Amino acid sequence: MSKIIVEHGCAGICEGSSLVPKIVHVTGIKELTHDVKLFTFKTPEGTAPFASKPGQLGMFSVPPFGECMFCITSRGEDYVEMAVKKVGVVTEQMHKLRVGDSVGLRGPYGNSFPYESCKGRNMLFIAGGIGMAPVRAFLEYCLGHREDYGRIDLVYSASTYDDLVFKEELFEKWPSYPDTHVHVSLYHGNESWTGPVSYTAPYLEQVVAEEGLSTENAAVTLCGGPSLFRTCRESLTKLGYSPENIITTLEARMKCGVGKCGRCNIGGKYICLDGPVFTEAELADIPRDL
Amino acid sequence: MLFKKSRLAEVLDATAQAMDVYVPAIVEGTSCFAPYGEDAGVTEPNFELQNTKIPPKGLLFPSTEKLYTWGKGPEGAFIESALDKPAPFVAFGVRPCDVAAIERMDQVFLTKGYIDEFYQAKREALTCVALACNRASDACFCTSMGQSPNEAPEADLLLVEGEDAFEIHPQTEKGQALADLWKPFLEEGSVDHKPVECSTQVNMEGVAQKLHGMFDSPLWDEVSTACLTCGSCTFICPTCHCFDLSQARKKEENARFRCWDSCMFKDYTLMAGNHNPREQKRNRVRQRFMHKLCFFEERYGEPLCVGCGRCLVDCPATMDITAIIDKVNAWEEKEASHV
Repeated sequence: MSKIIVEHGCAGICEGSSLVPKIVHVTGIKELTHDVKLFTFKTPEGTAPFASKPGQLGMFSVPPFGECMFCITSRGEDYVEMAVKKVGVVTEQMHKLRVGDSVGLRGPYGNSFPYESCKGRNMLFIAGGIGMAPVRAFLEYCLGHREDYGRIDLVYSASTYDDLVFKEELFEKWPSYPDTHVHVSLYHGNESWTGPVSYTAPYLEQVVAEEGLSTENAAVTLCGGPSLFRTCRESLTKLGYSPENIITTLEARMKCGVGKCGRCNIGGKYICLDGPVFTEAELADIPRDL
Repeated sequence: MLFKKSRLAEVLDATAQAMDVYVPAIVEGTSCFAPYGEDAGVTEPNFELQNTKIPPKGLLFPSTEKLYTWGKGPEGAFIESALDKPAPFVAFGVRPCDVAAIERMDQVFLTKGYIDEFYQAKREALTCVALACNRASDACFCTSMGQSPNEAPEADLLLVEGEDAFEIHPQTEKGQALADLWKPFLEEGSVDHKPVECSTQVNMEGVAQKLHGMFDSPLWDEVSTACLTCGSCTFICPTCHCFDLSQARKKEENARFRCWDSCMFKDYTLMAGNHNPREQKRNRVRQRFMHKLCFFEERYGEPLCVGCGRCLVDCPATMDITAIIDKVNAWEEKEASHV
């Protein structure tokens, strides 16, 4: 099996100005949960704001409230989509947007998931809460090129049933693909939930054991909050996954998005420019605050 | 070639006729690079200043800079870049350490994939006239950081000060253009300049490599105790380039600005949802010194410190980067002695 290679440095398809955004129009809003919305953006001409690869980032702005970096959740021929959770000043304003509103967008920034070098592998995706947003970009790519990849498993957890994003995809669309298995757990169940109630890491261990997933020939993609990262990494190590085969996408506060403003600096790298995608093996040699 | 000190005003006036000139001067009690000329109020450069308190970095990377405006017009929403092409200007009398710092900023803003067009526009307009040092202050340690107080290879033109004249060394086309402009005041000859050496020395050999393995060292608890996290060091540092993007909304104009920021501030890395990877002072102090002495070197091949000594002099808590480098060197020995 060839090695998983994550490319770093300027993925380099940013056009035009690096810090000045372009106007885009909100052409669709889908309420995914009580605090997560999926936005669709197009240029005023009705085209995609930019070409991007799965895992890349977009800097979104709502004047005059500021800018935020989001992972591009998916991209079509003539649009980009971002799933945004309401947690801060800018995201609160985003949730007030209506179809037809004009906002700012610049990008794409950062590297991408190693979809080429993962070909032929069994794919295990792990996500918690809104961590699904970047994972979805990679997962959908694999599903769109289904024959290039082996077995696909998704382990996804959220706090409550209402916090699960992309429910339609989780329970209907994705399981309908061949050899594609979706495993969902909740931290807090309710009367109507018959599925597992568990934190992500123990649930992950359970799924790997019950499904008999092989750690050989596997590529694991992981995204979630700091505690999910820590606990799932420990579980993956315990299960015998090698750090070279674990892919993560990092998060940090970002202002410029082009490796200059200094915020997302970790070791000799910038998350916005060299990342956000790294393998665990690479991160082991990058000193950083978590 | 040289020009006599008695002709300095003529040289500056001739230059100022052609373009804006910035010279070291004390303005309202603070030394900085100030516009030269009758109108600007600075008619004489102050070369007695070893280093100006405020480095010349603001000429290329202003403390506050408008990037774009936005609004709603008849055609709908618009975003308009505030990028303009500045007229050519001269920074006259930049010390070699500050010239080296400009080279570091060039690395940040002009390489690694994305070119910062706001920085680039000013950088291209700049003609940098360096002035070799005639003495080193107690805080100067540029030689330890790979620089020399006697030369400034990245400058467009180097001035070497003698008893009664400045020897000139054009080093680029822009520098030669200045020398041509100064022709009426130039004469053959050289000055007697005794090479300067820094008395403060640190050993930087292998420091970046050592620091890479010292991220979790108790050293950071030790060195961060005194720090007040006031951020002064980052604002007076000629190489610190972290910035914030923020906005101002006024009656006529909505604008987005870039402002200097500091990794010493707690909200610098604060994320929505209140997670903060550098909540603790220790982590922020560690980031500053690791970035300067290790991370930047790993990325660009040289430290993000030019040994100008400003932070040593002006830190209200007497934090001293040279002492920290000494401690890093000693720490290795301490650990090695345990083995």
